[in-house]
Amino acid sequence: MFRRRATAISAFAVFSAVSVILAGCSAPGSDDKSSGDSSGPIKIALVDAQSGQLSSLGAWELKGARLAVDEWNAAGGVNGRQIELGVFDDQGDPTTGTNLARKIDSEGYIAMIGTAESAVTIAMAPILKQAEIPNITSGQSPGLVAAGSEFLFLNGPTSTTYDETLAKHIVDKQGTKSIAMITNNGSYGKGEHDAFLKALQSRSVTPVADQVVTTDQKDFSAVLTGIRQKNPKVIFLGAEEVESGLIVKQARDLGITATFAGAAPQGTPVFIDTAGAKNAEGTIVSSPYLGNDISDASKKFATAYKAKFNEEAELHGAKAYDGTQILLAALKTSNVATGKALADAIRATKYQGLLGNFAFDTTGVGISATAIGTIQNGKLVAAAG
Amino acid sequence: MQITLQTIIGGVSLGAVYALVALGFSLVYRTMGLVNFAHGNVVTVGAYLASTFYLSTKLPFALAMLVAIAVTGLIGLIIERVLRPLENRDFDLMLIGTIGFGIVLDALVIMIWGATGRAVPSPVPSAPIEVLGLRIRTYDLVVLAIAAVATVLLVLFLSRTKRGAAMQAVAMDHEAATAVGIHVGRSNAIAFMIGAGLAALAGGLVGPLLYVSPALGGTLGIKGFAAAILGGFGSIPGAIAGGLAIGILDSFTAGHFQGYSELVTFLVFTVIIMVRPTGIFGERTVNRA
Repeated sequence: MFRRRATAISAFAVFSAVSVILAGCSAPGSDDKSSGDSSGPIKIALVDAQSGQLSSLGAWELKGARLAVDEWNAAGGVNGRQIELGVFDDQGDPTTGTNLARKIDSEGYIAMIGTAESAVTIAMAPILKQAEIPNITSGQSPGLVAAGSEFLFLNGPTSTTYDETLAKHIVDKQGTKSIAMITNNGSYGKGEHDAFLKALQSRSVTPVADQVVTTDQKDFSAVLTGIRQKNPKVIFLGAEEVESGLIVKQARDLGITATFAGAAPQGTPVFIDTAGAKNAEGTIVSSPYLGNDISDASKKFATAYKAKFNEEAELHGAKAYDGTQILLAALKTSNVATGKALADAIRATKYQGLLGNFAFDTTGVGISATAIGTIQNGKLVAAAG
Repeated sequence: MQITLQTIIGGVSLGAVYALVALGFSLVYRTMGLVNFAHGNVVTVGAYLASTFYLSTKLPFALAMLVAIAVTGLIGLIIERVLRPLENRDFDLMLIGTIGFGIVLDALVIMIWGATGRAVPSPVPSAPIEVLGLRIRTYDLVVLAIAAVATVLLVLFLSRTKRGAAMQAVAMDHEAATAVGIHVGRSNAIAFMIGAGLAALAGGLVGPLLYVSPALGGTLGIKGFAAAILGGFGSIPGAIAGGLAIGILDSFTAGHFQGYSELVTFLVFTVIIMVRPTGIFGERTVNRA
């Protein structure tokens, strides 16, 4: 009798353990084995979440990178060598990421695109630094800069830039001082929390509420009811697409009419779909890529993207496209160098991209400006004025 | 006070979903003594099926749910049929077998629907009801009502029908049940089928509340399993009480402990289980093997 109950409880332990192990060890993706010699294809790894809650990011990244690689391959590759893009699934999990970092090193990949998750990239950074594999990430946490690796580059601005621009718009321009914050305790949310709070403090604004949620949370009634009583004008969101969307949906159900504001995730279709277009209306977004109609380059990119994948291009695809273009340009100028020489070539690359003019500084940040947009009729558009 | 009440309301609707997941776990456990580790993945499959029929083929939500329940019920039957040769031989292999099925279902979901996920608009679009400053989503009421009806039907089936009574008999003593001519395999198959159907019901209902992605069932599976243990594994009222308790507990810890809420939820859970290892409605009579 007692054995049975013990089984039930140990089964619970097994259940939890199995979930962790499954998240940890399976790594579907390319398993090609060829050495990193100077003939044959140039091997570039793309590491991103291809499964799990963050997989939409990974899917966009893959499309952006794939588009850039295919364009180069169609034009004859780099120095006559084709580029081979190996795809690895990190499941948005840092442990899986570190395993993959060793894997791409041992399989002779010379550079890496991704990941879109700051926490995963930060976990991978020391291994990639040791292996001298340059990495162009789509993460934006200031923690990436703090990692201090000369092999780590960002294909966009850090949270500091996003949130400084956002605070400037909300506080300085609109004169709103009644601001609440909801951030999650993941790497991205933590970066957003610190960056936005700092931007507010430099303007002597204290948020009326500063709530932290977990990355896995589904019900936000307690947090939102507390915020509703403070009646803020603007609620800042520092969480990924799906979670932010759920927060907005539940907030509107609770009768909160405040405007939401955030950085890159709040401008994506996944956020808008999850929240519902009506609920997301008016959300203020700080982003380096406000839409596909901003410039000739972005129109061309969006057309090619649509033709290839039959869906609308958005920020993350554009970021990965830019990052991959920079990497390939650096490979070309350096005559397919590897290791430190390739990292130096990336740092020296000046590139006019979809997100702006890339000029890397010593910290690996290439872009240091964002623009303000708002969501109108379910689409992100540049803010008037 | 208002925050407290609103927090309870928020916790109850997810709690009802956890309860449905817990019911599926408990039903299979009380009948076979087996923990079905594929249960969380069946929830995901159910959520995808319901949302696919609702969004793509534009079936009414209720009909889409019924189709999803039927299809996942079939999946339950298949799992049981494959595992049947192991029944009463190697219990551990059966456990591993369900884990294997979970991985297969997970992979199938990603192959069929992709890894990205989808948002499901609420089938009850009307505005939340406002009572004394509290806002109650109409859809939450629908979820609660359906969960209640499903529970009542399940209890009636187990206590009033011949087939249900046979299942109870198998749960109590499968050798004696076999001796009086009850088909144990069929009993198990029905338990698996109903369990999978309940998983689809939970998944389909939770779709419009959350975001349907391959990761959906993982969280619900863990919470539902914890709910089943908390209520007393194998107990039907226990599953309901456990589900609601976990939902409300989760909601409260989120408000008070913010980033550490998950930790506190499971700490409280652990303490309760230590004090009362059989759970709230722990039954010892259904134990077997």
